[in-house]
Amino acid sequence: MSIGSLLNYFYTGLNSSNLLISIIFIIIYAILISIMMSIFAYMFGWIERKIIAKAQRRHGPNRVGKWGLLQNLADLIKLITKEKIIPENADPLLLNLAPILLVGIVTFIILLVPFSSYLQATNLGLGLLIIFVILGFTPILLFIAGYASGGKFAELGAQRSVLMLISYEIPMIIVVATVGIAAGSYNLSSIMNMQSSLFNVFLMPIGFFIFFVVMLAELERPPFDLREADSELIAGWLTDISAPYYAVALMLDYTRMFMGSLLIAILFFGGWTGPWLPGIFWLIIKAVIISLFIILIRLAAVRMRIDKILKTGWMYLLPLSIVNLLLTLIIVLK
Amino acid sequence: MLSIERKDLLKNIEQSYAEGYTYLVKITAVDYVKTINLIYILRSLDKNQDKILEVILDPADLSVETITHIYQGADWYEREMQEMFGIKIKGRRAKRLLLEKWDGKGYPLRKNFEWGKSYEKE
Amino acid sequence: MAITRINIGPVHPSTHGVARLVVDLDGDTIVNVEPHIGYLHRGVEKLVENRMYMQSPPYMEKIDYVAPMAVDELYVATVEKALNVEVSEKAAYARIILLELQRIASHLFFIGSVTNDLGQSFTGFMWGFMDRDKILKLLENATGQRMFYVNMRLGGINREFPQDFEYQTKEFLDYLEKRLKDYENFIEKNPIFIQRMKGIGVLNIDDAINLGVTGHVLRASGVKYDVRKNNTYYKYSELNFHTKILSDGDNLSRFRIRMMEIRESIRLIRDSFYKIQKADGSMIGMPVKLFSPKPTNKISIVNRELPRGEGLMYMVADDKKPYRLSIRAPTFINLAALNKIAKGHKLADLFSIFGTLDMVMADVDR
Repeated sequence: MSIGSLLNYFYTGLNSSNLLISIIFIIIYAILISIMMSIFAYMFGWIERKIIAKAQRRHGPNRVGKWGLLQNLADLIKLITKEKIIPENADPLLLNLAPILLVGIVTFIILLVPFSSYLQATNLGLGLLIIFVILGFTPILLFIAGYASGGKFAELGAQRSVLMLISYEIPMIIVVATVGIAAGSYNLSSIMNMQSSLFNVFLMPIGFFIFFVVMLAELERPPFDLREADSELIAGWLTDISAPYYAVALMLDYTRMFMGSLLIAILFFGGWTGPWLPGIFWLIIKAVIISLFIILIRLAAVRMRIDKILKTGWMYLLPLSIVNLLLTLIIVLK
Repeated sequence: MLSIERKDLLKNIEQSYAEGYTYLVKITAVDYVKTINLIYILRSLDKNQDKILEVILDPADLSVETITHIYQGADWYEREMQEMFGIKIKGRRAKRLLLEKWDGKGYPLRKNFEWGKSYEKE
Repeated sequence: MAITRINIGPVHPSTHGVARLVVDLDGDTIVNVEPHIGYLHRGVEKLVENRMYMQSPPYMEKIDYVAPMAVDELYVATVEKALNVEVSEKAAYARIILLELQRIASHLFFIGSVTNDLGQSFTGFMWGFMDRDKILKLLENATGQRMFYVNMRLGGINREFPQDFEYQTKEFLDYLEKRLKDYENFIEKNPIFIQRMKGIGVLNIDDAINLGVTGHVLRASGVKYDVRKNNTYYKYSELNFHTKILSDGDNLSRFRIRMMEIRESIRLIRDSFYKIQKADGSMIGMPVKLFSPKPTNKISIVNRELPRGEGLMYMVADDKKPYRLSIRAPTFINLAALNKIAKGHKLADLFSIFGTLDMVMADVDR
């Protein structure tokens, strides 16, 4: 059986009219996606450590396994076997649920992403909007986790996450709407197909810039890692999360980065469009390159301060996103 | 080095400040057993000159005026002297201990200080 | 709005040791900071009273563990003054070379820790520490120890410079000059770095003098005071260097002063290597003996420009031991100014201010 027919078989299964078969295939698909996500998160955990080590003229992990490939696995095992500590005045359920729910959100979003015209769970007409509605829950979850831990550092991190939410969510939604208008649809597949002649980066460079900055903030990557600013708040909302949940939270960092890179690739770099290779490869290659770029930013960036982020959000990003909307309207409508 | 009476301390410091000795380098003390000398090292940044004032105190009465209203930087030095030598600084509230993290018994830099002996701090 | 009181430390990623700061916050704005110090208080001043004169240098080195040799030298110079020991010309230049290398090492440590406090994922930190490590290797070659040298002897240092020391040092200085350009491009000119540092933690000139802050904090506020110039010692008066001042008094000025001082130190070392060739006398001081010469000066006051600011020792001499040694630690008084500087800023800035004041808690507590 060739890969093409396998995919075709899979596709018919996913879109089967029989509800039971459809659910079974969706579960298989979800498992496959989770495995892919884990591999990505694991590999990027290693790649980030290596790249940063090289830039800082260190060696990075090089003891466990070939080139230190198994170092992260060793760290994971260490974390999982450690004792769970829950602070006295914390809400244990909410505190430990938050990282797991976050994993759920990220997995759900990646499930909605079409990897090729065969490999997709559903083909929703409003897929893009649904993704951003779900994405809007993340800061709220972080906020809940921060408050549930009962510590003051976590609480400060939670406050910051809400402050950041109000400053970057609006420009992000405006840019997403602009992409939708340019494509004439909120369907992810048609957005990607629309870009086969011209990537959105070239159509709306301002929009790309805004979205990229906002995504860094959304993913808590430097220079916007205020919620878990290690030199100020120890670890922000993660301060009181211990052992296995902390391992989940660490893996989550990279899965979220993968998700963000996928979204950027889909919205601005044409997603699966590209010559020679099948669509799924193009999408993943693009996402990996964007992830590498995000890692490189971490090397040089100094953490921004909360009031500067608010100022950037409201004074620059919001007006720019409106300018971007108007320019795109002019170009698209002629 | 200029030896001054305790009652003239504030007057002397104020006068020095007016003369341009605006920078306080250090307040320190030496326990000569019979007397405890409190030493103020002042500096004039314009004239590039140091001035040392020495106040000779009787161990029975160690109270002096504070100079924090003239030199803000004197605050921690005065507290240090308060803890280490038991010099009582008039006109300031007793604050928590600055350097010592033990029970605060005795004055460690005095010559009659011994470990293990029980002291009471006024 | 309600005021939150948070307790930072004693163990916290950016308190540079064991400082505890009790911070009152209004939202994210600092209302009041109270530093609680003394967690590293060892009572060095008392310990010294029970040791012979030349038994104390190892204790002195632990006062400021980032620049141990500088404090050691200050102590030995105080003893030299009390015992009336002359330092030969050659030994003076040798000390200048070692002390300036130590100063550069300490300043590189500062650059590293400040970038780390600002949240730069250890890049600047690693850079600073790796270049510092090269200096530690040089000093190890010259003195025999990597961090705690104990190489100051009465009237000189413990041994002659090795043959290759001059060549290695000059090679390192060339390398460092190239690296400083990297630091400048990567850190000092980084827009977010400037945004985080400029106008933050401003200390104006009047407050700086009144609070008695020293070293780079004083010079960043516009006071031209450097002990090496104003109360010159050894052969600093014959060497060519400038006291750099800036007038803003903010975090960025404090950082830039340090960068400039590294360049001045490089000049000083090059100059000293040139002048040491024609200098007279021996580099080696008296061996450490149980019975040192009798003190001739009862009270000796010595001040030195330590990497962190002005250090001063007030020693009352006894026959064999110091009767009383009082140490003015530069960071002690700089930390006392923290509340004044940090008030009204955001919590995130507290750490950059704390970092640019360049705290070494062991030095604060003694």
